[in-house]
Amino acid sequence: MIGRRKLLLSTAGAGLFLASPGLLRHASAAGDVLKVGIPVPISGGNAANGKYASMGAIIAAEEATAKYGREVKTFDLDTEGKPATAVRKVQDAIQQEGIQLFAGGILSSESLAMGKEADKGGANFITTAGADEITGTECNAATFRWSVPTFGAINQSIRPIIDALPNAKRWYTITPQYVFGEGLLQATKDVLEEKGLELVGNSYHSLTEKEFSGYLTNAIATKPDVLLILNFGAQCADTLRQAVSFGLKERMTIVVAWASGLEQFEALGADLCEGIYFGAQYWHTIDSPANAELVKLTRAKYNENPNYSLAGSYICTKLMIDAAMKAGSTDQKAVQAALKGMTYAGLTGEEHVRPEDNQVIKNYYLLKARAKSAMANKDDFAEVISSGQSFLEVAKTGCKLS
Amino acid sequence: MTYLFQVLNGIGLGMLYFLLAVGLSIIFGLLQFVNFAHGAFYLLGAYLTYDLVERGMSFWLAMPIAALIVAVVAGVTEALLLRRIYKLPHTFHILVTVGIALFIQELVIILWGPLGGSVAAPDGLNGVVIWGDFIYPKYRLFTIAFTAVLALVLYWALERTRLGAIVRAGSESTENMALLGYDTLRINTVVFAAGAGLAGLAGGLVSPIRGVEPFMGVEALSIAFVVVVIGGMGSYVGALVAGILVGVVQSLMATIWPEGARLMIYIGMASIIVMMPRGLFGRA
Repeated sequence: MIGRRKLLLSTAGAGLFLASPGLLRHASAAGDVLKVGIPVPISGGNAANGKYASMGAIIAAEEATAKYGREVKTFDLDTEGKPATAVRKVQDAIQQEGIQLFAGGILSSESLAMGKEADKGGANFITTAGADEITGTECNAATFRWSVPTFGAINQSIRPIIDALPNAKRWYTITPQYVFGEGLLQATKDVLEEKGLELVGNSYHSLTEKEFSGYLTNAIATKPDVLLILNFGAQCADTLRQAVSFGLKERMTIVVAWASGLEQFEALGADLCEGIYFGAQYWHTIDSPANAELVKLTRAKYNENPNYSLAGSYICTKLMIDAAMKAGSTDQKAVQAALKGMTYAGLTGEEHVRPEDNQVIKNYYLLKARAKSAMANKDDFAEVISSGQSFLEVAKTGCKLS
Repeated sequence: MTYLFQVLNGIGLGMLYFLLAVGLSIIFGLLQFVNFAHGAFYLLGAYLTYDLVERGMSFWLAMPIAALIVAVVAGVTEALLLRRIYKLPHTFHILVTVGIALFIQELVIILWGPLGGSVAAPDGLNGVVIWGDFIYPKYRLFTIAFTAVLALVLYWALERTRLGAIVRAGSESTENMALLGYDTLRINTVVFAAGAGLAGLAGGLVSPIRGVEPFMGVEALSIAFVVVVIGGMGSYVGALVAGILVGVVQSLMATIWPEGARLMIYIGMASIIVMMPRGLFGRA
């Protein structure tokens, strides 16, 4: 029979056990842990990008923990690629976890929404999403962006092709109908008009589309010299796969304006990609000390080379952490002050946070996919054929921060 | 001319949608069971085909073997789990089959990673056929022919064989079949496995066109439901007609109103629900 003393001890023990999550959480919150929210799609069509983004953020956190001697933790927030979900997750993270630093957002629509929420909630947010508006007409003091926006991506990917292929007069575009696609399409129209070339047609599609044969049939009917694909991630892979099966690679030049990088080549395979041009924010062979370090860290932790999703998330998370450490606080204004105007050794060489619109100034790359027989190793899918920087002047971005 | 090309392309697309939806329709017809795991069986069929081809197996062998494995997995799942919930309300069917779908999806990510991959079209079906301005991949033409033959075989099996008669009678009244001495539990398992196997076959057949990625089952399920709702739940002919209808509408809309191509499918489904609640070929 259980004695009274034993019963009391058991009850106290059980009570302590049940209360322990709260106690542990409290202990953790009381400690000096630096928290970074990683709001990325971990489910849905862009989940692969989100998974790699999470991996990149973990590397940045571990690197910072070792460098600063202070524990840095990342918190994955599944946005599902939906703006409404993304905003709710950021709100919860600010209110319930007290997170003030966010690095994430794969799609422009979700990133625009999260940036506004961070601004309102006393936090800061940095993203790799592409729409010009993020650091343009819809900019705010709390939103920063590492990737080259749609304007620069188009300029750096199609101008070299126009120069290299003077006979390519007729262009056709396939565009996702949301802010990112619209930005790429507008920039394309501007460049083609300036160069006296013809946009013979465009097919819009929804963000959930998987079947592109109808759009490709439209493109074939207009007999273009160049098919320019303006969608991203899984949709881009579907478009390319179907375009190649329709024999378009033999009939026209195919260009992807904004590739998702190494993971896209892995998913599609070298044979399918051969000869196709890809605009890219990042490539793992970029010759810079910071990139060499990331490649080393990624190989050591995951036994693979970093891709764009991983690298973009790594550098965004690193920038947020470095700014908080420099500011000595996660306070919104203090972190903003630390980030603005920062020049640092980035993955693409020297990178600079333009203070007038919070846009990082960095290189964009044009790749051409190699033949499988020409690959030196399993990830040597493409050669970098040009790189450079194209950014709207601050006065033309529409950003009114300063 | 472009419209004619889009109609031809839509028929090809529609045949794939038919193959995807027919299993779902048959399962509902016999079991009155809403199977939200149908897309996951399609996903599994695609990945098994991909895996077997990657291991060096011929596509022609990999595709039926993958479908067979999916059928066995589905049959075991039905026998061990699903038959226990047939008598429960549809909400339980949805809960359990959504759970199975999520389990299969996560399993695929664990086994093959989140990135997806490509399956090359088999030798002889690479390349395109050209008629004037019309260009069409050989493999897509093959899928039309293959699915048409399969549709005829299925029709024959359902309408002209003893097993087909049992399935049709079972869809009228399982109780009467039991009274006549038929092992209805076994019939249910066989029909469920066959329906899922067809989804697996569709996954394998589609893999050289769409490649494989872990979330392809979700999109497939939504298309399959649209086809089944338009055609009429449990109707074989309905699945065929609705599949082609959805494919042609989607393809034509790519020219007429590209941004609304997918939207129009759902508008069509909503219209059918309003005007013909049992679908085009649904039974009263």
